[in-house]
Amino acid sequence: MKIKTEQFQATAREELKTRHTRTHLDLVGLLLREKRQATMGLFPDPAAALDLGRTIRAEAVERLPELLEQFERNAAARGAVVTWARDAREANDHILRIAKEHNVRLVTKGKSMVTEETGLNEVLLKNGIEVFETDLGEFIIQLLEKPPYHIVGPALNIPVRQICDLFLDKGIMKEPTLDPVELGHAARIFLRDKFHYVEMGITGVNMAVAETGTIINVENEGNIRLTKSSPRIQVSVMTLEKVVPTMRDAMHMLRLLCRNSTGQLLGSYVSMDTGPHGKGELDGPEELHIVILDNGRSSFYRDTEAREILRCIRCGACMLECPVYGKIGGYPYGWAYSGPMGQVLNPLMLGQERTRDLYRACTFCGACKAVCPAGIDHPRKFLSYRAGDARGDPTYGAKRRPWTERSFMEMFTWATKRRWRWDLGLRSVRPFINRHAREGFIRNMKGPLAGWFKSRDFPGMAPKTFHDGMHKRGK
Amino acid sequence: MSQTGKDEILGRLKAAPKKAIPPRPAVPPLNELALNREETIGKFVENLTSLGCEVHRVRDPGEALAKLTEIARAAGLKRILASEDDVVAPLDLPGWGRQNDIEVFTPKDCRDREDFKRIAFEEAQAGVTGVDFGVAESGTLCLIHDASQPRLVSLAPIRHIVIVPADRIRPVYETVTDKLFAAEGTAPSHLTFITGPSMTADIQATLFAGMHGPKDVTVILVEETAA
Repeated sequence: MKIKTEQFQATAREELKTRHTRTHLDLVGLLLREKRQATMGLFPDPAAALDLGRTIRAEAVERLPELLEQFERNAAARGAVVTWARDAREANDHILRIAKEHNVRLVTKGKSMVTEETGLNEVLLKNGIEVFETDLGEFIIQLLEKPPYHIVGPALNIPVRQICDLFLDKGIMKEPTLDPVELGHAARIFLRDKFHYVEMGITGVNMAVAETGTIINVENEGNIRLTKSSPRIQVSVMTLEKVVPTMRDAMHMLRLLCRNSTGQLLGSYVSMDTGPHGKGELDGPEELHIVILDNGRSSFYRDTEAREILRCIRCGACMLECPVYGKIGGYPYGWAYSGPMGQVLNPLMLGQERTRDLYRACTFCGACKAVCPAGIDHPRKFLSYRAGDARGDPTYGAKRRPWTERSFMEMFTWATKRRWRWDLGLRSVRPFINRHAREGFIRNMKGPLAGWFKSRDFPGMAPKTFHDGMHKRGK
Repeated sequence: MSQTGKDEILGRLKAAPKKAIPPRPAVPPLNELALNREETIGKFVENLTSLGCEVHRVRDPGEALAKLTEIARAAGLKRILASEDDVVAPLDLPGWGRQNDIEVFTPKDCRDREDFKRIAFEEAQAGVTGVDFGVAESGTLCLIHDASQPRLVSLAPIRHIVIVPADRIRPVYETVTDKLFAAEGTAPSHLTFITGPSMTADIQATLFAGMHGPKDVTVILVEETAA
């Protein structure tokens, strides 16, 4: 998938004009937030349940190498073939090799952000293997050749009219309809044949249980179950942080994941594989391949602050809470991961230079952090990336800020370091600033600060400072 | 690649500085654990109903078959795919089908994988299965998949009819997984939690059932099963 994180501002500007996107986001956000609160409220002590989830994820990340080895040992003992891939190319090559060894021509996929990250579809298609995304939203955006809009609802923003035209154009249905249910039915009929004859199924992984060697998938449509049940070969791709210590931990995280992503007690289907199918089974995989993908994660793991993002369970709650995401939607973030979790992860994966607009698009309201069931402090990370920019810290490839901003900040620092400089400064800028004030407020200003005043007012400066006033009284 | 890749990745992870593992907080037990048998069943039924599943409570296996006949007639079912799990097998659905002019396929009847898949995807108007457990906290049906319980029976046909013995209903997930994953090497190769019909809301957030799996999930809850 093409990385377009540099185009954040331009895409955001475009998206803000799309009224359809806006009304839609408002509605979905409201609805899901209410459902999440309702289902979270069903815990005997919601705060304690949240706290436990955060502790499980923190522990999993701190014990990562040990848990991964335990997981691999247990999965392999049950006959799964576990492979480690250092980067996207190794993962894709490995999956392609499995497909070629078995002469696979037709692949179905369950929704997986990790294969969006690695661009697996392009590789398979280039090698003459047909690949169908089967999650309805992913199916639509695959046909549209668009990136996911939201990690849980990848095509939430696409208007029905456009889906109708698309389905007619691609021969998925014959008669036009604007009914979402009928559009869904057309996709069901079209994909059914693919599920019937699929030769290899590829899925992501929601959780990998170290203690049992089990992989767990959560979904609502049944496309992942079909992808795992019909073909003889199953390939499940996980990034290395998906592991949790125990099955009990997995069950608790399931509750949190489903409540926070879709406001459900549990997704329609949770399927758990411990090795390939057993003896005499008519369906299910004869071969279960599990690919553990690193793709840069083990490198930033050495940074005890940065590794916190590995706690993420991909529920999408941070996006729906974020006031910025709520206005611009998922496209401006320019990659598979959007919203606050993407703003934290993308700079670590892609480097700060090409993602600098991402971590600046934040109001520091802290809503993401407050809701995160994995205990990630997103705003703190944005501050640290910004500080990295200011220092020109090469760790994640930060480039220094423009000289104008730097020299302004240096002057400002110099001015604030001595009392007399500050007082002198105030006195000298006051007439300049207050020239723009009307009735005590500055509502707009020409020059480089014009943009700031577009949506904000600033109180004018008082004729004298509080201190000056007090001094006079004292005398 | 795998060995060097693995060593490299694990090497980096292990070389990273360690942080203290936070202690686990105390969490109050889930509400469902305090329910008595009848309340647990009640919660299970309540959750299923709110998911849009039809639930029929019957006394014994004989009544279950009568209910199944009623459901099949109402839906005009002619071809059914049934599993051979320990709930469904004793009901002799092939025999029941012959009496009611309904063709009942079972895994045993299938020549091979392709034949089975053809029936599951193309022929069957409904799949009938039992359950290994029901879970009250979310109205969840737990199926352990093996030769007698193929995965596609409860998934490929548009309708899923499930026979649930009341004594298999448990309060929470852990009561099921603690048992199934207790000993090394004995965990089921595939375990499914089914909670309501196949759903999607991917187009315009319009929620509807029957996306890829069953549109209707009908539960026949049997109070007493033959010992």
